[in-house]
Amino acid sequence: MRRRISFLAIALLAFACGAKGDALQWSGFALLRGSSSVDSGPLQHEQLGAQVQLGLDWWASPSFGAHVHLLGRSDDDGRRATAGVAEAYAELNLRPAGDRLRVRGGAFFLPTSRENVDALWENPYAITSSALNSWLGEELRPIGVDATYFRRRAFAGATVFRGNDTLGALPPARGWTLDDHWTLLGEWVPVDAEDFTSVSAESDGRLGWMARGGWNGDHLLIQVTHFDNRSDGLDYGELFNWGTRFNLVSAEYTREDWTFAAENGWGPTYLIPDGERFTNDLQAGYALVSRRWPRSRATVRVDSFSIDDTRENAVTFAYFWTGIPRLRLGGEVSATDDSRRVLLEVRYHFSGK
Amino acid sequence: MTNSPDFRAYYLHTGSRVRRSFLTVLLVFLSLQAAAATLTVDVRNARGVAMPNAVVYAIRDGRESMAPARRRAVMDQKNRMFVPHVLPVQTGTAVEFPNSDDIRHQVYSFSGAKTFQLPLYTGTPANPIVFDKPGVATLGCSIHDRMSAYIVVVDTPHFAATGKEGRVILSNLSAGRYVVHVWHSELNADPAPLTLGSSDQRELAFVVR
Repeated sequence: MRRRISFLAIALLAFACGAKGDALQWSGFALLRGSSSVDSGPLQHEQLGAQVQLGLDWWASPSFGAHVHLLGRSDDDGRRATAGVAEAYAELNLRPAGDRLRVRGGAFFLPTSRENVDALWENPYAITSSALNSWLGEELRPIGVDATYFRRRAFAGATVFRGNDTLGALPPARGWTLDDHWTLLGEWVPVDAEDFTSVSAESDGRLGWMARGGWNGDHLLIQVTHFDNRSDGLDYGELFNWGTRFNLVSAEYTREDWTFAAENGWGPTYLIPDGERFTNDLQAGYALVSRRWPRSRATVRVDSFSIDDTRENAVTFAYFWTGIPRLRLGGEVSATDDSRRVLLEVRYHFSGK
Repeated sequence: MTNSPDFRAYYLHTGSRVRRSFLTVLLVFLSLQAAAATLTVDVRNARGVAMPNAVVYAIRDGRESMAPARRRAVMDQKNRMFVPHVLPVQTGTAVEFPNSDDIRHQVYSFSGAKTFQLPLYTGTPANPIVFDKPGVATLGCSIHDRMSAYIVVVDTPHFAATGKEGRVILSNLSAGRYVVHVWHSELNADPAPLTLGSSDQRELAFVVR
């Protein structure tokens, strides 16, 4: 699987490098981040971190193109990959009878997040994402085909995907986190001392699926999503499959310089070691309010997440200053029931064609 | 020479002639302005509800002598929405696409009226897009599926988009025969022929279905 994805990314890159003029564009950001020391729990974070993310887009026409999302980061937790491909897909847009149909093929982020709304799944509201989207960015990356149909103000979408057999391992085994540690294709993320999880893991040969629908008004967006990785829950060496069925409900309201967004997700995840099935109920949700000024933005986010009956809450306040073009200076303070974290970040955006 | 009485007399005489000519032209212009017709158009759906975001435009029979009403227009992006949702422009208008958000947009249209794509950007792109063919360009953003808007390109200077009250006023119409069209993204209405006198004040109602 990893080789297949790498081949797809290299093919897209080669295709893009051969493109002329305006057909190829690149954009991304580089960041440096410092954190107060938190070694465990939802706010665990490396003390000093750096990331570079680069998006390459090639468009043969406005209706057909390809996208590769590359990511490199410093790592101090022993993971096996520090640079690679986060997304690689081709996209086709059609207009049947005045409506719109978008078809994507490849590996891509779940297009449901109400906070990771910028290019490269970047979060414009806070340095770290909610527990819900931190998990989805770390454990779910559909590798398959997605089709979304837009008719007037309504939309519906469906995805069939491979990989993601281990989806659901992190929240019960390691716990929820508030982070932005997007897993690379082919990367193995430690779950505990013995096992790993990987968005590319395909051990049982079963396809997963997702369906979503929603309504998009002038200021209000409402969306519901269901996904099921249809994993067999069995042990495949260091990659232990988890079967996860998850529901998501989200809403977003924007008016003038204010944004209100909320998502809630819940569902069971199970594994079957030695023939016995163990199930955990996952739940994670958040609500945020964000205000934008000409050169700054402030956001307050409240998270609530649980495994079975064990619930935790977190409050995050983030402030960004963007007075210098391309530069974003940010600070974020998060607090859970028993720990605090302060993050400071400098982020530089770049683009070209 | 310049101080001679003859020249002064000539100068004063010529000056009064120029003033008289200017006054005459002004009066003719004002009378023409006053003589221009006005057309008020009401757009409703079959249930009688006022329809905003409909484009009403009147195309005159024969040659239109008026200069284009507007040659530049703006389609903004705010809160991951295009503003306005429907922008009518005359053929040849240059449209700017500023991004007023603090996130990036990638605006595209693959409609027959205008096919283009603006690379991922913040701020305002240096070059506006010229819409040089009549028709409807449906806009989207490659990053944000929820964003959509329409630029309706018409071959006449007489056009406007309805507001919440579903009404537009087309003024400064010269006398003649017109065909009045209504465009709406989801509904249709038959064009209506209309003959206007030089100072008519007419009203027209459309039902879009």
